[in-house]
Formats: sequence, C-alpha cells, structure tokens
Amino acid sequence: MDSTSTPAAAQSGSQPPPSQLRFTGSGKEYFGIWIINMLLTLLTLGIYSAWATVRNKQYFYGHTVLDGHRFDYLATPMQILKGRLLAVGLFVIYSVVSSYFPLVGALMAFALALLVPWMINQGLKFSMRMTRYRNIRFAFKGRYGEAMVNFVVLPFFSIFTLYLLMPWVLKRIDAYIHSNIRYGDKPVQVQLEGKEYYAAALLVMLLGILVMMLLVLVFSLAGDININPGELASGNMGMLLIFPLYLFVISALQGIYQALIRNHILNNAQIEDVAEFKSNLEPQRYALILATNAAAIVLTAGLAFPWAKVRKVQALAEATQVVVLPGADQVLDTAQQADSSFAEEAANVFDVDISLT
Amino acid sequence: MIRGYFYQPNSSRVQESTARLSDSRVAIYAGDECVYETTPEALSVSAHLPGQASELIFADGARFVPLDTRYRWPFQRRNSALLARLESNLALIVCALVATPVLLYVLLFKLVPTIAVTAVQAMPEAVVEQMGQQSMVLIEQTVLSPSELSGDQQQAVRDLWHETLSQLGLSTDKYRIDLYRSDHFGANAFALPHGQVVVTDELALRLTEHPGALRAILLHEIGHVERMHSVRLASQAAVASIAIAMLVGDMDIVAEVVLGSGSALMDLQFSQNMEWEADNYALQQLERLGYSGEDFAQALESLALLDEEQAQSWLKYLSTHPSVQQRIEHAKNYASSP
Repeated sequence: MDSTSTPAAAQSGSQPPPSQLRFTGSGKEYFGIWIINMLLTLLTLGIYSAWATVRNKQYFYGHTVLDGHRFDYLATPMQILKGRLLAVGLFVIYSVVSSYFPLVGALMAFALALLVPWMINQGLKFSMRMTRYRNIRFAFKGRYGEAMVNFVVLPFFSIFTLYLLMPWVLKRIDAYIHSNIRYGDKPVQVQLEGKEYYAAALLVMLLGILVMMLLVLVFSLAGDININPGELASGNMGMLLIFPLYLFVISALQGIYQALIRNHILNNAQIEDVAEFKSNLEPQRYALILATNAAAIVLTAGLAFPWAKVRKVQALAEATQVVVLPGADQVLDTAQQADSSFAEEAANVFDVDISLT
Repeated sequence: MIRGYFYQPNSSRVQESTARLSDSRVAIYAGDECVYETTPEALSVSAHLPGQASELIFADGARFVPLDTRYRWPFQRRNSALLARLESNLALIVCALVATPVLLYVLLFKLVPTIAVTAVQAMPEAVVEQMGQQSMVLIEQTVLSPSELSGDQQQAVRDLWHETLSQLGLSTDKYRIDLYRSDHFGANAFALPHGQVVVTDELALRLTEHPGALRAILLHEIGHVERMHSVRLASQAAVASIAIAMLVGDMDIVAEVVLGSGSALMDLQFSQNMEWEADNYALQQLERLGYSGEDFAQALESLALLDEEQAQSWLKYLSTHPSVQQRIEHAKNYASSP
C-alpha cells in the first residue's frame, strides 16, 4: 500500500487513518556496511569510527519510512570526530589520573558527576537536531537543573529507598526526555503514569526470580546425574553454559520491560495537530527477538550482529503507527532560521556529540 | 522525467512533483507549474547508500527525492558512490571477514601492550611515587591492619630484607618493607610501584623456619618493582579501555560484553606474563647471589599446600598467577640447568 499524505484525507473531518512505520533496509545490505566500517575503523586506528557512525545512522534513518517520506540523519563525520576526540581527551585524563593517583581520581569522579547532566542534555540536543523528517529538524530543550534532578539527584536518593523509588525515577526521566523534544516549532506532549512503570518493573523482577529458580533447579539436577568426583570438565562446562544463558535471560527480560514501556510512552504521546503515535509491540515476541538475537551474536562470534540489528529495528517499525494530522503541513523549522544568528554560531563550538558511543 | 517529492526549505510542506533535466538545467515541476529551477553546479547530491534514493539538495535547503530508489543522476560525481561500491563488493567483504579478527588481535594484544610499555618508560619518577603512595593509602585503609607479630619476628624479616637489598646493591631509600595483618590477603606478599613491599603476618609465620624461601619471595616482589609491573598494568588498562571505547562505538550491549571479556582475558594474560618475569628475576638473582632455585620452589610448595586447602579447583584457571605446579617445576629446572 502506498500511503502518502493527501489533502483529501485531511479534509474528511474525522481522524485520518494511521500510517504504518516501515523499515526498508535488509540484513544483507547492512552486513556489507558493517564489516567495511569495522575494517576501515581498525585500519585507521579508530579515526574512521566517526565516518562509520554517520554511515550507520544514515542507513537506518534513511530506511525508516513514514507516510512515504524517509527520515534523514544530518550530522557530518567531522562533528562526530570532534566530539569523540573531546570525549577521549576527557576519558584519557580521567583514566590516567584514576589509575596513577587513585585519591585524586575519586575527587575527579565527583566533579564529573556535575558534568553528567550537561553532557546528557548536549547529547540529546545533538541527536535531535541531527534528525530530520520532511525538511523539519527535531530539537531538544531540556535544562541543566531538571537534568541534574532527574539523572543524578533522584537516582542517588532512590538507593536509600532500596530502589523502591526507581520506577518512579525512570518515569520522570522518560517524561523529561520526551516532553522536551520539539518537532520544528511544535512540542511533543506526553502523559506518563508511574503505575505502568511499577507494573513493568514488578513483572520483570518476578519473572527474573522465577527463571533463576528454574535454572538453579536444572543445574542441580544436571549436577546429580553426573557424579564424577574430581571431574574438572563438568565444572568448566557449567561456567561456559552460564554466561550465554545469562545473556539470553537478561535480553529476554530487557525485551519485556522495553516493550511495555515503549508502548506506554508512544500511546500517550502526541504532537498537537501534527501527529499521534500508536505502538503495539508484544512483550513476549520482542523478548524472544532480543534473546535469540543475543544468542545468535554470541554463537557466531559477532557476525550475526547486522542481521540481529535489522531484525530488531524491523520489529519496532512493524509495531508502530502514526496518525499524521492535517497540521503536519504547517510545521516550521525554527532552529534553522535561528542558525544564522551569532549566538548560535558561538554555541556551535560545542555542537558536537560528546560521547564515546 | 523523474517522479519524486519536492520538500520546501524550512517547512514540512511536500509536493508530489517531477524533475526534468535538460542540457544544463534542472527543473522541478508540480503538475504543469515549474516550482524550482537551477543548474547542476548549484546543487549537491546526497551520499549514496545501498537501497536509498539519491536526493538533490538545493542551495536554499529545498530538496528533491526521487521515488525510484535505484535512480542515479547523470551529473552525480562518481566517487560519491565509492563507499557504496566497496560495501557491496563480495570479494572485499570476504577479505574484511578474514582481516578484521586478525587486526583486532594485533591491535589488542600487540599494539596496546607496546603503547603501554612506551608510556611507562616516559613516566617520571614522581608520578610512580605518587601512584604507589596513593594506592597504599587505599589498600591500608580497606584490607590491612597493624602487624601482630612479636618484635623479634618482625626484626628477623627486616634483617633478611636489608641483607638481600645490600647483596643486590639496591637503594634502601627506595625499597622498604612493611608487615601487616590481613585476613583479605591471607599468606601473601605484594609490591607497590614505588618500592614498598608488604608481607603479611601469615606468610612470615609460615616461612619462619625457611628464611631462604622467604628471601626468594622477596626477590620475586623486588622483580615486580624493578620491571615496573604495576605501572605497566595500569597504563595497559588505560590504553585498552580507550581502544575498546573507540571500537565499540556503534555496537550493542552484547558486543560490549564480548569485547569486554576479551579485554579482561588480555589483562589476565598480561599479568600472567608478569608473574613469569618476576619469577625469572628471582631465580636469576638467587643464582647470582649463590643460593638455589630450590628455595623458590620450596616457597611456592608451602603456599600451594595452603592453596589446596582453600581454593576451589576451577578458580585457579581464572587466577592471575600461572599454575603453581608449573612454576615449581620451572624453578627446579632453572636450578639444575646453567
């Protein structure tokens, strides 16, 4: 079905039908990009990683199609490289100081905690500004104070509540991130419920405990069967099995939590008059995808990574619909107009993605 | 005529349109109306990616994206598609599959240690001094408590230490010994980069009857200091974590776990090599000073007995020390061969 936004649909009065988000890339194509990225990155001792990142993102953004229009990734490799060099510089100073002067290192870790909110904001700002749909860039307007409260202060205090507060903190973090996103001049609105986060966390914890008990049972049974005193091999086999199994279980649990939370966020988010979102990602299906992805990556020593990533992105796109509202034609890009001003130019010195990943 | 979408600058407005190319002009038509006209020199073409349409970007930010993802513009520069050609070249992909693990190995196991060693040689004395003292403050506060040995017992260890130092001709300003009680370490000795050697009460007690064995252990620890092992480990860890952070870049958590355990293995191998180096240092010095490698073998044997009482067998595989049995054999062979 070729779904394009036609004026006729907009005039019908009632809500237009939702458009399906589609991912048109393939694992085979991406494998080539991925392996060449790896090769060139190794050959250039990491310098090419900036180009690799841009190429990766361009591939995934450009193959994500909504309503007949694709997304664009706009960052240039030089911006990524500058940010990465800055981050590596900071990291080198920190790791040298903390391994040679452990006491000074501990003080420095504290100072870095003050930098964390700024870096998170900067990273979100950058990645939003580098995302474009229909010639309109996204933007992020979060403030330092709020980021400090949500990312540093509240998580720290939740330790003293034995993490009982943590789901509520996670809800605040998601609300902070999403309600500060703008599509051009239109803000995203979200209404998140703490109880959904508690329900998801509780479910994942109970499942985790259940699986752990099952595993202990299976292993003790297996241990009983082969009673060979002084047999080293069985112990080693157990160790070899535990690691992939652990990864498998963690990925599955992660999938359940992420699916529940993603559905909750998208189903309660909208850009007024522009778009409404729908997500119906099935937790058990997504869990199975993530777990088998992890298993495939481990079993193929990493070679299955491109296939796994495409498979995951495809599942996410399949579960997402967007109702494009009539106002979608009237969004203006405020950021681009302000770009010419001198203040923005000065701010652009730090317009880099300050992160290692 | 190429069908596609025309995106207006700084606006979400989109028009279904067609691009018409003539000799030196590109014109975009919506229906019969010309909405944009320019020359190929005044526009740029987006980077070529597999499976994606190649779009025209105009000077004011307007764009035209063809519907046909395989369509390529006649004025598109050839080298803009170079990467895309590499990425879909089967021969190159096969080469990359072979070369990547090899390069990864060379980088992590050859280049990183070399850089680490170079960094160590450039390290000023004052830095090493600071590193040792600060580490000691942390260790002392967390896992050490004052020695409970009698004055005589402590003096015996110190006498042995001073005798060894003067035999080796090493400075007593740099090298010092301290005794501590420690439940964490058990019977053990360790060296700090600035020349401080710590011996636990339990070890000293265990070897009271065998001063030769204790001397061999002290020599092993001096070997760690002389070869700057802890400084090398620290700089190795720093260089490796930077290399891994650069490589992991766009990978998922799973890849991080895989690479992370690779780096842990690398650390393990590195520190095992260091143990062999320190062993060889001790054996060389024992021989030079006219003692026997048997002393060292004896020291290891008495510690191995203790080990068997405590440790679970599989833990040894992951221990930073090479298998004790191998080391005992090595020490004995060293004594017999010239």
